[in-house]
Amino acid sequence: MPSESMRNEVRLLRFLAQDMTQAELGKRVGLTRQTIAAIEQGRYSPSLDVAFRIAHVFGKRIDEIFHWQPGDDPH
Amino acid sequence: MSPLEKRAWLGLLSMGLPYCVYFGVLIALPHWQATFLERIGFLAAVSLVHAAAYVTGLLVMRRQEAGESVLQDERDQAIDSRATRRAYFMMLASMLLVGVIMPFESSGWALANTGLLCVVLTEAVRCLLVAAGYRWPRHAV
Repeated sequence: MPSESMRNEVRLLRFLAQDMTQAELGKRVGLTRQTIAAIEQGRYSPSLDVAFRIAHVFGKRIDEIFHWQPGDDPH
Repeated sequence: MSPLEKRAWLGLLSMGLPYCVYFGVLIALPHWQATFLERIGFLAAVSLVHAAAYVTGLLVMRRQEAGESVLQDERDQAIDSRATRRAYFMMLASMLLVGVIMPFESSGWALANTGLLCVVLTEAVRCLLVAAGYRWPRHAV
């Protein structure tokens, strides 16, 4: 499940970017506010395309924002 | 709550009550001696209640969502396509039952009502899967 193996720093980066709102970030990367909230809570792992767009908004590399850890279940 | 999730719950609730009444009556009165027009009238009334409840709900939602984006993003599309894919297989199986197997034993209203029940159940399952999709963790497609 995504929440077990994927973590991200989106919430922290939003805070550091003058407390950018979820809606504002969503608008810049083409997602809804609800989806940004789901990503932050680990309930949704975005596509690679969206992950790159989020990284671009914050001026970071993708691996500085999204962290994957192998779990017990390979699926 | 996402607009798509709200619409899924609306679809489920607006459809659930009228068709529960419809099929409840049919189950409670298995030997209902009604004319064709009475039966069609009953079905039309139930369908109208469903349509009116859904349209009213949609109008209320649009009013509440004024100014907020209701466009679907990749998560909405992933959830919707998963739910629709699963419901499609349910529809396929139920139509095989109604259209291929049942005609050998049944006809008329029994066939029509079973077909209608399958359509209602398929749509209910689709709505439930969409609503549940927002609760379970998901990957993008």
